Order: sequence, then C-alpha cells, then structure tokens
Amino acid sequence: MGLALLIVVLVAIFATVNPGFASPFNLFSLTRVMGIDMVIGFSMMVVLVTGGLNLAVGSIGVAAVMVGGWAMQVQGVPVLPAMAMAVAFGAFLGWINGQLTVRIGVHSFIVTLATMSIFFGAMIVLTKAESFNALPGAFVDLGRLRYWGFVSGMLPAALIVGVGLWLFFNRTSLGREILAAGANLEAARLSGIRVERTIVVAHAMSGGLAALAGLMLAARNGAALPSMAGHIGMSWLLPAFLAPVLGGTLLTGGVISVVGTALGAAMVTIITNGLLQLQVGEFWVQMFLGLILLAAVLLDRLRGVMAERRRQVR
Amino acid sequence: MTAVLEVRGAEKSFPGVKALDGVDFVLRAGEIHALLGENGAGKSTLIKILTGIHEPDRGEVRVFGQAVHFANARAAIEAGISAVHQERNLIPRMSVAENIMLENLPQRLGFVDYAEVNRQALLWLERLGLEVAPERAVRTLSVAQMQLVEIAKALVLEAKILLMDEPTASITPHETDVLFGLLRQLRDQGAAIVFVSHKLEEVFALCDTVTVLRDGRNACHAVPLAEIDRAAVVKFMIGREERVAKLGTKPFDATATALRLEDVATSFGHAGVSLELRRGEILGLYGLVGAGRSELAKALLGVGHVTGGRVEVAGKEASIPDVTTALHRYRIGYISEDRKAEGLILIHDVASNIGVTIWRRLAGMLGWLAEGRVRRAVAPLVDKLQVRTPSLRQRVGNLSGGNQQKVSVAKWLAAEVDILIVDEPTVGIDIKTKTDLHELIWQLAKDGKAILLISSDMPEMVALADRILVMGGFRVLGEVLNDHDYGRMSRAIMAHIHEAEAA
Repeated sequence: MGLALLIVVLVAIFATVNPGFASPFNLFSLTRVMGIDMVIGFSMMVVLVTGGLNLAVGSIGVAAVMVGGWAMQVQGVPVLPAMAMAVAFGAFLGWINGQLTVRIGVHSFIVTLATMSIFFGAMIVLTKAESFNALPGAFVDLGRLRYWGFVSGMLPAALIVGVGLWLFFNRTSLGREILAAGANLEAARLSGIRVERTIVVAHAMSGGLAALAGLMLAARNGAALPSMAGHIGMSWLLPAFLAPVLGGTLLTGGVISVVGTALGAAMVTIITNGLLQLQVGEFWVQMFLGLILLAAVLLDRLRGVMAERRRQVR
Repeated sequence: MTAVLEVRGAEKSFPGVKALDGVDFVLRAGEIHALLGENGAGKSTLIKILTGIHEPDRGEVRVFGQAVHFANARAAIEAGISAVHQERNLIPRMSVAENIMLENLPQRLGFVDYAEVNRQALLWLERLGLEVAPERAVRTLSVAQMQLVEIAKALVLEAKILLMDEPTASITPHETDVLFGLLRQLRDQGAAIVFVSHKLEEVFALCDTVTVLRDGRNACHAVPLAEIDRAAVVKFMIGREERVAKLGTKPFDATATALRLEDVATSFGHAGVSLELRRGEILGLYGLVGAGRSELAKALLGVGHVTGGRVEVAGKEASIPDVTTALHRYRIGYISEDRKAEGLILIHDVASNIGVTIWRRLAGMLGWLAEGRVRRAVAPLVDKLQVRTPSLRQRVGNLSGGNQQKVSVAKWLAAEVDILIVDEPTVGIDIKTKTDLHELIWQLAKDGKAILLISSDMPEMVALADRILVMGGFRVLGEVLNDHDYGRMSRAIMAHIHEAEAA
C-alpha cells in the first residue's frame, strides 16, 4: 500500500507545481491513458505469474486491432462483434505463444521475441502498412466517454477488467491452478494439475488483454494504426513490465497482485503525464521510467532475499 | 598418529530438526575412515560442515591442530580439505582436463597453457585407469567416467585430507578396484581419507576405522574395523530395537486388490516388476538409494511411463498418461520425498497447498471456488493432523519441516485417494512428528486405504509395513513378510540385497 501513498504524494506534488495538472482536460487525458496502461500491464501480468513473459504484447495488440479495424471499416461488421473478433484474434495469437512455449519447452522469452517479430511483420505485409481511419462513430465515441466531466471511460473499463482478473485468480479453480503451476511447476504437476494447459491459458489471456488494450488505444486515436505501439510493438513493453513489477507481481511466478498492477500503471501514467506537463523532454521521461523499472526489479530481488533470510533464521 | 582433522561437539539445527547433536569425529594421517549412517543420520550435514557449506551452531573444528571457521567452500579447500560430493560439480561443455585442473589452471604469460593442462590431467587419468582423451568434452562421457573425472578433480589438489561422499555410487566393480588401489596408495603416502558409502562390503574392504552416526549423534566413534564385524556395524547404524513402535494389529481383506503390477517395465528402466497391494495394507518398498523406488512410483503416476507389462487398479487394467488422470480417475496420490521441490508450494499458504488437489471438485459453475467451501474442506484436516500454523493463510515456507510434511500429507487426505504412495515420509523430521506420521499412516491403512510405503529407514519399515518388497537395480529382489521383529526383518532384507550383489 506504499504504492497508493506514493501516488497520492505524486499527485499532490504535480498539482501544486503545475496548476494545469488538475484541470479537467488534463485529468481526462490522464485517466484515458491510465486505463490503457492498466490493461497493458494486466496483459503482461497474467504471463508473469507463470514465471514466463510475453514480449509480443504490443505486436498482438496492434495485429488484433487491425483485424478489428478491417472488420468494422471494410466488412461493415457492427462495433461490438468486431471488437469481440479482435479480442478473440489476440487470444488466438497468445494461444500460439503458449502452445509454442509448452511444445518446444524453451522459455517464453525466446518464443515471444520471435512471434513479436513474426506477428508484426505479417500484419504489415497484410495491411500494406495502411491504417483504418474511417472507423464507425460508435467505436470512436468510446474514446470520448467521459464521467463527472473529467474521468475517461477507459479507466472504469480497465477497473472492471481488473476486478474480473482478481476474481479469476482468487476465486476460480483454473486461476488458482495457474498460480500453483507458476510457483512450483513440479509440485503442481504432481498434485494433478495439467500444468501445460495453465501456461497456454495464461498466454491466451495475455493475447486477449493485449487486443483489448489495442482497441482502447484505437478508440482514443480514432483510427487503427499499424504504428500505434511503436516499432514491432515495443513501446508497450516498458509500461507492460513496469505496472506489474511495481505492483509486486513476482517475476519468478506464482504471486500476483492485480490491485498492485493497477496502481503501478497509475503511477507510471501520472509520472509520465506530470513530467511532460512540466516540459521535461520525452527522452528524460523514458530514462526516468527505465530507472524506476530497475529500482523495482532490485526491490523484487531484495524481497526474495529477505524472505530467504527470514526462513533461515527460523 | 596425529589427528589432522578433529570435530568436537558439533551441533547444527535446521528448522524443525536437529541434524547434529554433539558429534565428535577424529581423522588421523594415514588412515581411511568410514563415515556411516542411515539417511538423515547427519552424515551429509557433517560433510557440509567440513567443506565449508554449513557452519556449525556449536562445537569446534580443528584442522592440523588449528581451530577453523570456514566462511565458504573455498576456505575449506585452502585449508587443505578436498572433497568428492554426491552431486555432480562438473562443467559439461569444458574438456576433461579443464574440469580436472579448474581450481588451479597452469598459465603462461597470462594465458592458460593448454599443453600443460592436458599433460597434468593425463597423469591423473592414467593413475585412475580412465582411458579418455583429456581434450574430450565432459558432456560426452558416461556417468561412470564423469564420476572418475570428479574424483580426479579432487585428487589433483593433492590435499592431505580427502572426503569422498559415495564415490562408487555409479562406477563399475573394476573401476572401484582401481580407485581403491589408488586410495590405499595415497593413504600409505600419508593422506587422510574420509569414505562415505552405503555398501558395507566396500567399507570392510577398504577402510581402517569407522564412525557411525545415528539421529545426529555418534553411535560409535573411530572404532578400528579390525575389532568389529559387519553385524556390529549394522547394529550401530540402525540401532535399538525399541525404536520399532507398537502400532497394534490391523486386519485387512486379502481379496480386495487395489493395485496390481504384472511384469511391468518403465521408461526409467524398471524390468519385470510385479506386485500386489490390497486395500488396508501397507506394502513397503525397501532398497538402497538408486534402487528405483521413487521412479517406480512416478512411472505409475504418469510422470514417466509404463512401457511393458500390465497395471491394474481395483481389478481393471489401467493406463495412466498423467498425474491428473492418476488422481481423478484412479484415485492414486503421491507424497513426494522432496517436499520442497515437488511436494509443496512454499510461497503459497496452507489452504492453497492442501486445497490444490480438490479445487476442481469443489468448484461450481465456471470454475467458481467459494472461499468458505475450501476452508470447510481444509480446516478439519489441519486440526486432525495437528498442523501447527497460526492460520490457514500462513505461508507454508514459514512452517517447520515437520508441519510442512503434515501439510503435504493433508492434501492427499483431502483428495480422498484410495491408493497412497508415501515416499520417505519422515526424512529430516523430528521424532515427535515422526511418531505422529507413523500413527497416521497406520490409521489410514486401517481405514481401508492401500498404502505403498517407500522408505530407507529400516525401523520405520519394520514398524509400519505388512509386507516388504526389497528393490535393487530397478527390479524387485525379493519379498519379506513382516513379523515386526526388528532383528529378523533387517537380516532378511539384507540377505536379499546381498544375494543380488553377489549374483
């Protein structure tokens, strides 16, 4: 809960230093990005708990959005079914990651590094790098949803996803099994859990969440752009790792914190937004976020070492 | 002769268990000293203290008369103690010679002098009778050859004190003979050697003196082997007959077969394994380390697989592709010997660790798990087994060893299996909890479960099992009907093992 406190302090500082920070206009754009960053963070979180990772979150997000954009703009599929298609396609790409990880038996780092490139490349080839910028109004309006004058609809949407994930990992047998397998694969296997399936499910969920984040971003932009997650989707990676790691999801797997990931994402967004408002250059912000990630990883290691110490003392 | 290594009153505790409780050990120059004891007796803890891996809580270690405190393994090597460990410590991609010379690579002008590395390594390979080129990569060697490289690596330091922990576990009788010749030669040149082995023949063939540990204490201390016989050593090792607890009688239905194996072969290398386990019966699987008992259990569970013969569960032929099927269709459970790596999820809480086998059963629509339902299923077991934990939310990693083991038993009780395979249930566990667990296993059988008990603890075996199958080399060597008379049973079991060794 130190994280929540830190966020309050940060908000207070930014609001004092720069009155523009607390303006309804800025808060609206802040909460919009915050919601998207949270879902990106969740997308990484669900594979981190298996002890793996998914470098292809950005690639999958963009690829799925292009499918959704094509369905809406070219095929005239209604908005909701088209969004469902995009999420299903993202989940399918994640499922491929999961299957490859389990079948080949290498770490998901290598698998998703390869698929990051493959998915993105294929998407560029198929779309000829052109965007879908005549999306239906009903879809684009989702990005303009605004509550109480300053909260973007993206934030409540992300929070609802978070509640769903919390319930899944804490209150369903499959969610608990994913955590058990992530913490100790052999013990889980010998307890009768189909551990391979847990890994595939986690990757499919990651893909689906990445697609959702992509849709949210497309709604904000008002267009489905191949470039919206940077080159081969890499500009998503920093928020994707920062949110769960800051939030206390262990990189070694088996421990999850949905609330922490949401708070972690909130913090990243606030820092970025606050610093940019203060006219700090974007590269400085990037550098700063990198430092925070390093600090968070060190903290993660330290927690592990401390836990080990305590065990030995007993 | 002078003592080169002396341990006085060494004590070492781990969570929940006192591994060493005032152990003395004296090693003199020019002797080969056997260090014996059952699993869990404290041998490996003592070795780890001597090699700087653990520090003793109390007591002192003297090397060449000097009190020493090893901060790490390096310090022990520098003090002149060289060791061959049970675990492999070779670097697979490096050459044989590099591995052997690793601690002290000859150099010229700051570069490694490979000609010299190979030349020196070759000397030791020849002395060990190992005919492999020094340039060969270690990963291309056989297990026996690796073992010999490991030994060469310890010898090359020319330490005055040499610790050998089961050095012959994976080498052939011929290679053993060559090794023994070399060890005798080193002894005659004044080296002091500690020799740990489960094979008593080797101990009597090679060693001069013996120290036996039991339950973390000296059962005997530096006794010349010329003065005692094999029976006396065995008695020191497994000790008092009163340790065989009286558990009463437990009639069972001789016709209700729960598990039957007929001429089973497995992917681990078992051949011709047949056995029959009835409901209410405890069938013991006794054997030395490496006899293939845990592997048999794992093959039955679907971790490895059965490649030949027939497996029947409750009278019907069974094929078990994975643990999920073993648990949910055939109701077979397995309490692992390695509770930290395979039995428990240390970073999760008590409720999760026990509940893991039954989540699927407790879950409602869409896999919904009501917390109350899990708690109601788990809490009675925590009470029944008297797991000492502040709450169900406590991390299992924070419990003592004995309580951890209770948790790993509880999860299979929760699963309500019919057949329970119990693998070394009381290794490294304090006496009180050990007795509790024995009574529990007994009671489970009495309630109608079929139990396959794997144990290297002979008193435990004699106390609990109805019949004992003796295993060795991934086969069943023989069967002993247990009459709970310790002396008779241990002789009968040993006879089967020796028969196989002689053959």
